[in-house]
Amino acid sequence: MATSEAVEAPATEPPEGPEEIQGRSLSQIAWGRLKRDKTFIASCIVLLIIVLVAIFAPFITGLIGVDPYSLDKEAISSSGGKPNGPWGGASLDHPLGVEWGTGRDILARLLYGLRISLLIATTATFLVVILGTLFGVISGYVRGFTDAAIGRFMDLILAFPFLLIILALSGAMTQRLTDLGVPEGNASRITYLILVLGIFGWPYLARIVRGEVLSLREREFVESAIAMGASSTRIIFREILPNLWAPILVYATLLLPTYIAVEAALSFLGVGILPPEPSFGAMLSESVQFFQLVPSYLFIPGTVLVIVVVAFNLAGDSVRDALDPKAVK
Amino acid sequence: MVKSKATLAIGIAAGALVLAACGGGSSDSGSSSPSASGSQGGEASSSSEASPSEAPAPSGDGQAGGTLTILSPAEQFLTLDPQVVYTGEDLGFLGATIMRSLTAYQVMPGDDEGTTLVPDMATDTGTVSNEGKTWQFTLRDGMKWEDGSPVTCEDVAYGTSRQFDVGLAEGGPVYAVTYLDIPVDEEGNSEYKGPTDGTGQELFDKAVSCDGNTITFNLNQPVPDFNYAVTLGFSAVPAGMATGPEYADKPMSNGPYKIQEYAKGKGGKLVLVRNENWSPDADPYRKAYPDSWVVNFGIEESVADQRVIQSSGEDEYAMVQGITTASLPIVFEDPVYEARRIDAYDPYTIYAAVNAQKVPDQKCRQAIGVALDREALRLNAGGDYAGDFADGAVKPNIGIDYAPTGLWDGLLGQPVPPTGDPEFAKKLLSEGKDCPTEITLDYAQSEDNDKAAAIWVESLARAGITVKPNPIERGQYYGVVFKDGNEVMLGGWGADWPNASTVLPPLFVQGWNLSQVDDKAFNEKVKAASVELDRNKQATMWQELSKEAAAQMWIVPTRFGKDQRLAGTKVGPIFSWAAYGSWPYPIMYAVQ
Repeated sequence: MATSEAVEAPATEPPEGPEEIQGRSLSQIAWGRLKRDKTFIASCIVLLIIVLVAIFAPFITGLIGVDPYSLDKEAISSSGGKPNGPWGGASLDHPLGVEWGTGRDILARLLYGLRISLLIATTATFLVVILGTLFGVISGYVRGFTDAAIGRFMDLILAFPFLLIILALSGAMTQRLTDLGVPEGNASRITYLILVLGIFGWPYLARIVRGEVLSLREREFVESAIAMGASSTRIIFREILPNLWAPILVYATLLLPTYIAVEAALSFLGVGILPPEPSFGAMLSESVQFFQLVPSYLFIPGTVLVIVVVAFNLAGDSVRDALDPKAVK
Repeated sequence: MVKSKATLAIGIAAGALVLAACGGGSSDSGSSSPSASGSQGGEASSSSEASPSEAPAPSGDGQAGGTLTILSPAEQFLTLDPQVVYTGEDLGFLGATIMRSLTAYQVMPGDDEGTTLVPDMATDTGTVSNEGKTWQFTLRDGMKWEDGSPVTCEDVAYGTSRQFDVGLAEGGPVYAVTYLDIPVDEEGNSEYKGPTDGTGQELFDKAVSCDGNTITFNLNQPVPDFNYAVTLGFSAVPAGMATGPEYADKPMSNGPYKIQEYAKGKGGKLVLVRNENWSPDADPYRKAYPDSWVVNFGIEESVADQRVIQSSGEDEYAMVQGITTASLPIVFEDPVYEARRIDAYDPYTIYAAVNAQKVPDQKCRQAIGVALDREALRLNAGGDYAGDFADGAVKPNIGIDYAPTGLWDGLLGQPVPPTGDPEFAKKLLSEGKDCPTEITLDYAQSEDNDKAAAIWVESLARAGITVKPNPIERGQYYGVVFKDGNEVMLGGWGADWPNASTVLPPLFVQGWNLSQVDDKAFNEKVKAASVELDRNKQATMWQELSKEAAAQMWIVPTRFGKDQRLAGTKVGPIFSWAAYGSWPYPIMYAVQ
């Protein structure tokens, strides 16, 4: 790596002695660019913190002495259920205040909500990547009738009114999942959300992948592999796939924050997870009615949501720039 | 009865309706089904706490003229059909404006005064004979429909007969079907199928007959309070008029107002203007002060609150039928609003029905009620604004039929604090036979109810009972739980009139029996109390039955609901009408 650093270094620093010529892979170049991208580093640090906080939420809340479920009647007023004190009753016991009417801790609910959001968003993104790559590669590599069939199938999925379907089918489908052996309650609801996001999300990625594959398979290295008698499996896995991960990675980093927002929106619309589990969408949706009296109900989850989404988007942008062969840097 | 407002409940777009008798789901389950729904706060009704004070400017007497406006979160009236209307608020409003009935409730502050029966279309509150099985009412002279034709005895009979049209009157009150002396078939359905079908018309004509201006009702059992029942679904409809489902949108008025415009949906409105054919001489009951009434639909609740709080421009004449939780501190912590706000008990008891088919053992049901943290539920619903802890289905503001049941003070063997007693619950669980350790809680989905469900989960977990919340879309709630209810269902109910015969029988025998109770001995006692002609003796019987029902824990009574509302600065008078837990519509006026 040191070498590539040197090569990429600005011209002000003249190379010492004869330059050692060394071939670098696309990923090496990209990594070199990323390491010098301050935006990328910063957003990665933010994301790392958020992910760690989400993973260790039970530990952290335990440490602070709060939990997302227990009711604190002392923290709210007996007339109207309004939190005692400004900023939603923020105090040492409840750093970000408590929920109206129940006295449940906002910080703890935020952290637990973050966990579920990240779980749903990452799993759904993973599903999209798997399905999108699979169908994209098949479609682009096999071409012909298979390509046409998959293409029309994707058109069909894209034409579906996705949001309406999610809302309309949530009851029936979670029941079906329960019948299939997924535990009742939140397990089946989360599974449902992941499946729906995954199933309706993959065609976008598949189209990108298919386009890439179509152009890749006409390239010389693929043709020479074919000429040498390599099997299709080998060509796909050794020749084509390594060239695909750049666009896939970029797409995934952009998709993930979208899904975090979508999950919040779905909870907002009432097809999210069941109480007493916290969720971003439910917190935001409830905050609306109390906005005048306790604006922090809206700002706290809103700010966290914005930070997560912006960090993912910036990181995704940086990755895209770094992987762009035409980039000047 | 059911209540129609969305009130405390957060954003019930559909408008929660609580039937007068049927109340609402726990905190707000607004269902759009006529029957009931949510009831988080009911309307203020009765109430000793209702402040009888007038709006600032208005002096004691009403002033004619002007327009009064209601800001409603609902997108339409559930129905305007006089045979189907069953929500308390709508009964109060439509009864005051376009829909007269034989008798009506006095419009005055106070529990007793506000539920005193007075004549409306009839000249008195009815004459009873034949040991309570025959009731006669004589109609006033000079009453007219909006088209100028006279309101006749036949019109009242025709209106009454429409209750038998099952397709038409679904969701409305069914007292005519229950009480009139018309034979039923093996399945318990009336042999009379309603005026449209016409089957069995002669049976109906025998049960309800007209002699000049006098209408006679022959009943199948003694009904000492039948004159109260005629406020529900016995209103007149022009005899012989083809009145299909479309009548629900354009009923013929015989009150002081008529419909000028009725546009449903967000931005829609109902406009009522004066009915020139109405004569005050034939209607001493209604004051009809304003020149017109406007109901604006689809106004977001928090927006409606704000408009009435600001009360500027035309909103000086506006009122809301409930206040959101978030607006309560604004309205009730500032004396500026004192003269135009109401905080009063409504007719509704909020409870959780325990399914007696799925939890057949009494001890198991008691364990559920004992473990429950009722204090947290009350706080979540608004604390002091939400009402008091309930000790049974019958609410104190019903009058003589209420006596404390002592449910939480030792009726179960030891006192139970409002926060619940997990240890006692565990003991009951161990004594009970096959108590379920995992139960499902059905409720109409809303943010408040989601939090209530969380409280159920937390508090029953202390006693080792796992609760699985099952949120159901509001508009479908009662449809789903009546067909396929789980162990516990949130609900609410209010009396149709001040007699526990409109509470205990519907809740535990037939009508609104969410708990699916089928207890033969209890049924017999209810029947005996229903036909008891001595009112004081009847009250004692109801009190005993209320106590028995409480100990059975067919419902876990959580709260005697309270309701808050607010009017603009130029609306009067400001008090809660106990009969319907509504504004005192028949005597309201706009300050000029």
